[in-house]
Amino acid sequence: MLKINNLSVETKGRKILKGINLEIKKGEIHALLGPNASGKTTLTGTIMGFADYKVSGGEIFFQGENIINWPIEKRAKAGIALAFQYPPAVKGITLSQLLEKTSQRKVTVKEFIADTKLLDREVNVGFSGGERKISEMVQVMGLNPKLVILDEIDAGLDLKNLAKVADLVKNKLLLNGVSLLLITHRGEILRFLEPNVVHVMLKGKIICSSHHWRKVWRTINKFGYEKCKQCPFLAD
Amino acid sequence: MKNANNALFWQIDHQIKKSESQEGLVILPSRQAYKELDWTRNLFVDKPKEGYFVWLKKQIDFPLTTCITIASPKTTQNLTNLLVIEKNIKAEANVVCNAAEKSLCATHRAQGRLILKKGASLVYNHFHQWGEEDFVNPDYEFILKENSRLAYNYRSIASPKDLRLKTTIVSQKNSSCNINFVARGLGSKIAIEDTVFLRGVGARGIVKLRLVGGKDSQIKAVSKIVAEKESLGHLDCQGLLINEKAEISLTPQLIVQNKKAQITHEASVGRIAEESLNYLRSRGLTEDEAIDLIAAGFLGEEEPLVIGGRIISSKLYM
Repeated sequence: MLKINNLSVETKGRKILKGINLEIKKGEIHALLGPNASGKTTLTGTIMGFADYKVSGGEIFFQGENIINWPIEKRAKAGIALAFQYPPAVKGITLSQLLEKTSQRKVTVKEFIADTKLLDREVNVGFSGGERKISEMVQVMGLNPKLVILDEIDAGLDLKNLAKVADLVKNKLLLNGVSLLLITHRGEILRFLEPNVVHVMLKGKIICSSHHWRKVWRTINKFGYEKCKQCPFLAD
Repeated sequence: MKNANNALFWQIDHQIKKSESQEGLVILPSRQAYKELDWTRNLFVDKPKEGYFVWLKKQIDFPLTTCITIASPKTTQNLTNLLVIEKNIKAEANVVCNAAEKSLCATHRAQGRLILKKGASLVYNHFHQWGEEDFVNPDYEFILKENSRLAYNYRSIASPKDLRLKTTIVSQKNSSCNINFVARGLGSKIAIEDTVFLRGVGARGIVKLRLVGGKDSQIKAVSKIVAEKESLGHLDCQGLLINEKAEISLTPQLIVQNKKAQITHEASVGRIAEESLNYLRSRGLTEDEAIDLIAAGFLGEEEPLVIGGRIISSKLYM
């Protein structure tokens, strides 16, 4: 589904990503863990094609095509959907108007939102943390995605809401072979989604990839990210 | 959706297609009113050549719809309009001025006076839709008598090449006005000059400007509140640039001549944040579609209007 080869990215003259390799197959869930400023959001922005991120080397393949020169909307239409951690406000446009413009298929919003009044509110204007997540999920689902990228979808959620969001991801988003790249620096969501592969990113590099998310998370919990480089338990 | 096919007065180029009076409502061509109704002569701002006269004497339950259209190339209209709402009458007016085609190189000049008598209330929706080569110059004065209320909504989404809009509001004792100017420039030169005189004790005025500078447009707005008596007023001027070569100049002016008056303002001009564009493009919209959506949100909601079978709506231009 997604294959990244030796990707290096700069922003504002600073090298952020240094030789990233990543492969996500159809229907797989991958989690990318790392502390703040490790390069996780840069990677998601680069996969989406945001102009702030200059690719200085490497390739990104999506369903076998090199998408490195594709504009953002072409990537979105091809099936890459990003749920933003901090989505910007779109004043004067309601969530239902935005969905009407962008959705490629009808989303039954009631599945996501008990209080459908959210649909009549301006997009991301005064949304609570939980409402932002729901809004992002509804929008992403409407895009009929093949690869979903959730950028810190767990940030600011208590355990109860986290479980609810994880349940929606599992039972509404990840159907029919949809793949997931889950960006997080908290481990709790892993318990709910049980990723096939977990990656650890530090200072712009993926320093570890493992099929054993529990082992990785226990290690990070115990020693912190800085110890990851030395950790003998992480490699498969 | 509003339908201007029910227009009570309709002028195309210089020809009056419709002018319908009803019980309690007098609608006449301006020239005729000037000639037949002596009392109007002091109220018209000038001796009229063309335009309309509307006099609402009794409460009605339908909107006062007027439509002034230019359909022939290089037509020059010089309208003199007068609208009078009698005491304690509540009314809504839909006033449409438009070009039937995009490149008529026409001129539309309109000067007018609108008088709201004591306790009257008017929602005045003024829609402009012009072609890329037109020159448009409306100059209106609103007289708000004691305890009257005015909500004035002006929209020019398909702006002409050159738009000069002058508006003066004279607000007397305990009257109030809520003025909304919305204009989108596309290769246009737009000059807006509005002044609210808070002339009576307890008068209140709110003026809101929302201006979008697209494709090479030059927009200049001077928005002024003059508080002559103990009164309340607020100016809210905001501009959004969506094109590198566009320019917006906003000048809010507060002139306070009474120490008990409370007059405030806010003004800003900004560009669309890259982050917002990225967000909408990641939902599959092209850059232009994303810009249009943000601009439409900035300019606010509108209800489309049907004129002669054509829908007038900014969304058609987006």
